[in-house]
Order: sequence, then structure tokens, then C-alpha cells
Amino acid sequence: MATEIQEIDLKTDEMIINMGPQHPATHGVLRLLLTLDGETVKHVEPVLGHLHRAQEWQGQNRTWFQYQALIDRVDYLSGMFTSWAMARSCEQIDGTVVPPRAEYLRVMVSEMNRITSHLLWLGTYLIDLGAMFGFPFYPFREREKLFDLFEEIAGQRMMFNYIRIGGVLRDPKPEWFDKLKRFLDEFPDRIDEYETIVTQNPIFLKRTKGVGILTQAVAKDYGVTGPCIRSSGIPLDLRRTKPYSVYPELKFDVITFDKEGDTWDRYMARILEMRQSIEIIRQCIDKLPSGDIMGKKQMAGMRIKAGEGFAAVESPRGILGCYVISGGGEKALRFRWRNPSFCNLSVLHELLKGCPLSDIMAIFGSIDVILPDVDR
Amino acid sequence: MTDEKPSEAEKPEDKKAEAAKPEAAKPEVAKADGAKPADAAKPADAAKPAAPAAAAAPKPAAKAPEPVIPATAGKFEQFLKEHGIPAQRLPLSLEVETIVLSGDVLQAALRLLRNSSEVKLDLLLTISGVDSNDTYDSVYHLWSYSNLDELVIKVLIKKSDVAEGDLPAVPSIANFWSAANWHERETYDLMGIRYANHPYLRRILNPWDWEGYPLRRDYKQLVDCLNDKNPHSMR
Amino acid sequence: MSQGNMSTTAKPNNPVVPEELRESVTISSIDLMIDALGQVLSPVLSPIANLARSNSVWPLTFGTSCCAIEMMSVGMSAFDISRFGSEVFRATPRQADMIITAGTITRKMAPALITLYEQMPEPKYVIAMGACTVTGGMFNDSYSVVQGVDRIIPVDVYLPGCPPRPEGILDALLKLQQKIRTENYADRRKKLYAQTSVRPVDYDTGRPLADLIGVVAEDTKAALSSGQEALGDAAKGISPEAEEGKVVATKPVAPKVEVPKAEAAPAPKAEAAKPEVKKVENTKDEAAEKADDKSV
Ligand code: SF4
Repeated sequence: MATEIQEIDLKTDEMIINMGPQHPATHGVLRLLLTLDGETVKHVEPVLGHLHRAQEWQGQNRTWFQYQALIDRVDYLSGMFTSWAMARSCEQIDGTVVPPRAEYLRVMVSEMNRITSHLLWLGTYLIDLGAMFGFPFYPFREREKLFDLFEEIAGQRMMFNYIRIGGVLRDPKPEWFDKLKRFLDEFPDRIDEYETIVTQNPIFLKRTKGVGILTQAVAKDYGVTGPCIRSSGIPLDLRRTKPYSVYPELKFDVITFDKEGDTWDRYMARILEMRQSIEIIRQCIDKLPSGDIMGKKQMAGMRIKAGEGFAAVESPRGILGCYVISGGGEKALRFRWRNPSFCNLSVLHELLKGCPLSDIMAIFGSIDVILPDVDR
Repeated sequence: MTDEKPSEAEKPEDKKAEAAKPEAAKPEVAKADGAKPADAAKPADAAKPAAPAAAAAPKPAAKAPEPVIPATAGKFEQFLKEHGIPAQRLPLSLEVETIVLSGDVLQAALRLLRNSSEVKLDLLLTISGVDSNDTYDSVYHLWSYSNLDELVIKVLIKKSDVAEGDLPAVPSIANFWSAANWHERETYDLMGIRYANHPYLRRILNPWDWEGYPLRRDYKQLVDCLNDKNPHSMR
Repeated sequence: MSQGNMSTTAKPNNPVVPEELRESVTISSIDLMIDALGQVLSPVLSPIANLARSNSVWPLTFGTSCCAIEMMSVGMSAFDISRFGSEVFRATPRQADMIITAGTITRKMAPALITLYEQMPEPKYVIAMGACTVTGGMFNDSYSVVQGVDRIIPVDVYLPGCPPRPEGILDALLKLQQKIRTENYADRRKKLYAQTSVRPVDYDTGRPLADLIGVVAEDTKAALSSGQEALGDAAKGISPEAEEGKVVATKPVAPKVEVPKAEAAPAPKAEAAKPEVKKVENTKDEAAEKADDKSV
């Protein structure tokens, strides 16, 4: 890594620039040490850990019940998925049977969460590309509507703590489904609206087409997952390839592109995923069975059987895994997160090598990194 | 605060012991229970070395779990053994095959599992460090981009083997598998497992000259004016 | 009257400089003139200036984690912070009036936050947003989290919640505006000096400089007591300074350079760690007196 630079025969003076940790476009507190040759990026060394909040340590020092509330903060844009990953791995150890209604509700809320996550990405990505304070108003408008729905079932706008070990927290009222349906009816038009502004926008095309091409070999080498790798032509979508929950009963296809994806493809993959999520939620509403929503008693002294389990879900950023070792007590012995952002970010220096300075933000933004998901 | 610490340290051991009872055949946990008696150390020693002389040793150990585990046992264990790499299957896992490798064959095994056309476990999900009762474990979760196979590989380093003031060492796989790079750095940072021949083994999450390895059980937190109302701290 | 005279004689006379800072603050004659002028004009100018200032508080885009998303939401159409004149999120501290510390501050981030705060021009305000920055919140007992941002920079408005609702942010902003409207010039000047209550944190270790200096002082002490003869005259030269504990806080580099000297006479690290705890408690007591960082 660091030694690679020294091998190259340098003709000009290199310049080392520090970007971050406080930078409006690093989505939080990432720090990049850029080695520049003129305008060209020679090497990038991400410096992580500015948001290391010791989530894994917390997992070992909090009871299961307490830690459920904390893990929404691991990936705050898709809290449903982090809860779900933990719930699944604990259920795997415990052998808890989750009622089917709860499973459908889980799929519904997490697909809604996927939409909010991608919407925020869309807004901030356009800010990264220079569309300051104009475009972002559009996606945030729809986000607020979804947040209102979340608030009704979970009581919080962002930190839901809704998916619990063994089921979900609350059963939504019938009106809630009506509201959701109304949102789903209007949302495709809204996506059209974004697309009219962005997709064929010449400036946007110039910034993104052919920029930051992620080849399959490199992606596999670094363990990249999520929309990034699907847009590079590898159909790895856990919801289909390793189906969990009730996904086998739902109809949808894995979104992939034939070629090796550039930044624009990654944008397009996310837009298509939002449309796909709408369809999945619709199917869920139709198929939703009645019945119980909780398969395990929620109480402060909750225990999980001894054993270890690894479960993963397909979060908006890729495979989010949770490796739990339980000793049968009130606390876990070891809690380990497999965060998609952490792995996807590690490919950044390959993508940025040789690209001009102005593309850094376009490429970095397109990976969709959430910093607590990197640093935990 | 000081009274709390020992009790906390004891708890996990108790739990492990409880865990062992229902499945009495577990060789690993059984070892953990009776680690102190000298006879128990022998099977543990026999399982460890990768020397061809001891290659027969894993087999009797592997026989014991068979009544507990369904017959699907050991696809990857078989595969590795066919290629001359001693591997031992653990009965701990629920659905996923878990095998124990010794450190010196780790690189060869992972190269093989990744590149051979039969298995193609080419998605390294994560490397985790675990501070077990008397071992430091480096745990590799392998998936595949193209099929449904899963495999968990564990490298166990006994705490008694680690010299005072030294770190447990595991060979690094970052040289041929870039995904491992940051995971190994993180495990080094938080758990203090030294990955030998890692290209850039520095702390990744904590500041560069942080002291101690926070996820170890005996870690005591630093107390200063940024962090002084802390129940887990040294006071 | 020469300037030099003025600065030396004026120190005790200036009422604005807090007692504990008189040693370290140097005041030029221009400062004094501005002060005097400000005192005189304050009744007339303050209300006007305050009104103008309070309605255009420009925040810095500083967001580390979850709370930052709510901070973005408050800028968007549903909550619309621009109704209160704060929609201009500035990317550079030089143009900002206020930091909303949205998100957890860790030890690694703390030096950057301090730098940002120090780069902002006066008058500057801080809203500690979210449980994390008020007390450390849910990560209160983590090894890497600063337990409340008020441990490193002075805070004006505390806004609890995890994350606080956007309405909460607006409320905090209104509270801050009230505070600005009731401010007067002399208070502001005091605040400027109180800026030295910022507690610097070391970039590498993420530990407060005061503590590190304490450690180094202990180290030197130990080295000196064990190896006086070995170190010779040069060491004796430093000794009085180190014993009195008057290593100057404004030079973070100096103690770092001294570390190798300590190692000449073997002062084991384990030993150095123990006295450090005592040291910490000292600093904490002093923190109550608001003059911690200079005095260790
Ligand atoms: S207070 Fe809560 S929402 Fe805000 S940064 Fe801390 S954990 Fe995140």
C-alpha cells in the first residue's frame, strides 16, 4: 500500500493533501490523505475511526434488550436492517420461530427504509456533485412522508428499534396501510420527477459517465457487495441468491447490468431499487397474513441460548452481517458486525487511482458510505 | 467497582460450562472446562500441530461429534484433507460448517478454497477476533459470489502459548486477498491479534498510539478528564 | 506612555480579564481602547447589533453522525430553518457563527472539533445537539467517546434527544437567539477570554494535553530522581520547571520531545501509568475552577 508509491519513478513533485475529517462532502467524518501529482490522484489513504463509538464493545457490555435499542445507530440510515441482522442471528441461535405476519411487516418496513436510505443518498450525492440546495429538497420531501409513517409504528423518526428479537414491536393500525398505499401510488411519479432532473442531465452525465469503473475482479478481491457490485454485473442480492425471511414468496428480480459499472450505473441501480422496493411493499400489503407479531417475550432480563450464529441481510449498502457469540447469559460474549460500508470503502483507493481531483467526490459519493457503519 | 470485575470475568466461564453440558461430545468446550488437568491438555496438543505425524490425531477427535451432528458433516473438511491440509470440524455450528485450522496452513487453505474450481469460496465476509476463555480466535467467514456455500474457519491460539508482553500471531492473508487487509487491521486494533507479514499493520479505528486492546476481556479503560464518569474504568 | 508599560501595568486594571487568566493574557493598547469604547457605546449599539446578529446565525456544516441527518432535515422544506435566518450552512468555519455539534464526538475527532471552534471568528456559539454531545449519551461508557462536548469547548445551548426532532433544533435555535439578544458587549469580551477554557486534545493519542503534560512531568521527575548523576547538569537545568509542574501548555510539542530524555534513565511505562490516574483527579478538580489547562 504505502510501499507502492515508492516503487513508481516520479518525475514531478507530489503533493499530499488532507481532506477531512470535517468536510461537507465526506458524509460525516472520513479523512482522506490524498497524494496528488498535479491534478491526478496517485494514492488515497482513508483514515477511519473518527466516529468509532465502540459499538462492538457496547454489545458485550449491554444486555440483549438494551443493545437492541443501540444498534439502530450502527447504520443510522437503515436502522431496520441492523436490527434485523441482529434479530436474525439471535433467532438463529435461539431457535425462535418468527410469526409470518411479523416477517411480512419486517420486509415491508425494511423496504421502506431502503427507500429512505436511497433517497438521502440521492440528495447528498447531488450535493456532492455541486447541486447545492436545490435538488435535495425533492428527495427530502418524500423522506419526510416515510418518516411520518415510521413514526406512527415505531415512535421515532430515525432510530426505530422496531424489529426485535423474535418479531416486531407493534402492529400498525389499518389506516396506516391506507397511508402507505397512498404514498406508494404517488411515489413512482416522484421518482420520475427526479429522473427528469437528473438522469439525462448533461452536467450529471459528464460528471458520472465512464468515471470510477469498478471491475469485477477488483470488486471481488475487496469483498464489495450491494448496489455497487450489482451494477458491476455480479448478481449478488441476498434477497434472491440466499433468500431469507419471506422473500422467496415475493416476486422481483435482481437488478444487474451487463457491463462493469461506472458511477452512473451505481446511480441507476439505486433508482431502480427504489422502484423495485415499491413493488415489494405492494406485494407484502396484499399478502399480509393475520396473526401474532412477536415470538419471544420482550423483557429486560431476556436471554439467548448459548451458541454462535452469523446472519446477514441485504442492506441498502450491501451485505450487513452480524456474528454473535452467546454464552447463554444476559449479555453477549462477542458481538461482531460485518458492515458493508467498511468493505466497500476499502476499494476506494483502487477506484480513485489515476482519476482527476474533481472526480473524487463523484466516485466516493457513489459508493454510498455511512461513517458509523465504517467505524462502528 | 473492583469487586465487580472478577465476578464479570467468572460469568462467561460458567456460561461456557453450562453450554457444554447439553452436548457433552464437544471436544473444544470440553477442553475449555478441564484445561487445568494435565490429561486434558494432551488431546488439545494433539489437535494443534499440523505436522504429518499428527495428521491422524484429528480423526479420533472428529469421531466423537458424529452422533450429535447430522450426516452432512464435513464437505470442506473433506476437501481440505484431500489436498493434504489437516482440518478439524467443530460441532459448535448450527447450520454452517466450522473448521479449525492451524495457523501455518491457513494461507494455503484459503488460497485453495478461494481459487479451486470446485468450491470457489471467494467472498471473504469478515475476519473477527474473539477472546474466548483460553484462546484467542481469528474467525474467517467465507461465502461465495457464485454459489450458496458457507464456511467458517477458526484459528485458535492458546493464551498459554502467547509469551508475556507478546501478541498472538496469525499469518496474514492480506497479501493475496485485499478484502482481508482492513479486517485484519481492525482485529489487530481491537483484539490485539498480530497478523504476521501484513503489509501495513497499524491501528485503524483507534488513534495510532492507543494503548491496549479494547475488546479483550481484561481491558481497562483509560480515565482522564474526557472520560471520568465511567463505571468500566480503572478506578 | 510606552506600549510596553501599558501592557504590563494595564493587566490588573482591566476588569474584563478573568482573575485566573491575567497571567497569560496579553492586552495591547488597541484592545483596551476598543474595550473602553465598547463599554461606552454598549447601551446604544448592543441592542441593534444583537438584533441583527440573532437573526442571521449561520451554522457550520458540522455533523459527525446520526444527528447530522436531522440537522439536514431541518434545513429542508418540511421544517425550513430559513424562517429563522439560519439556512446558510457554511462549509468553512471562517464564515460561520455557530456550531451545531451534531453527532458523537470521539477522542479521535476531538482535536478537529477544537480546531474548528478556534478557527471560527468571534462571536461564536455552540449548540450541543443530541444526547451524545450533551453527556456522551448512549455511548457514555465507551472507551473512545468524549463524555459531553462541554468537556472540550464551551457550550451555549444543550439540546437533548437521540436524535432530537427537527422542531427541537428550531427550539434550540430560538433559545440561542434569545441569548444573543440579551447579551452585552462586556459579557462577550469575557467570553472571548473564556475561550481559553477550551481543553486541547492531542492529535495522536486523543488524550487531553493537560494529562499528557502531567504524564511527561511525572516521567521527568522519575527520571531525574533516579538518574540525577547520569543525566548531568543539563537535566538539573530543567528540574525546577518540571518539579513545579509549570510546563507551558501552549507548546504541545515540547513535552513530546522530552520523552526520549526520560527513557535514558529507565522509567518503566507501567510506573508512569499509575501516577497518571492521580494526576487526572487533580485536573478534574481544577476543571471546576475553569482554569485547568494552564495550570498542570
Ligand atoms: S445523540 Fe443519538 S442520534 Fe445523535 S449522534 Fe448520538 S446516537 Fe446518534
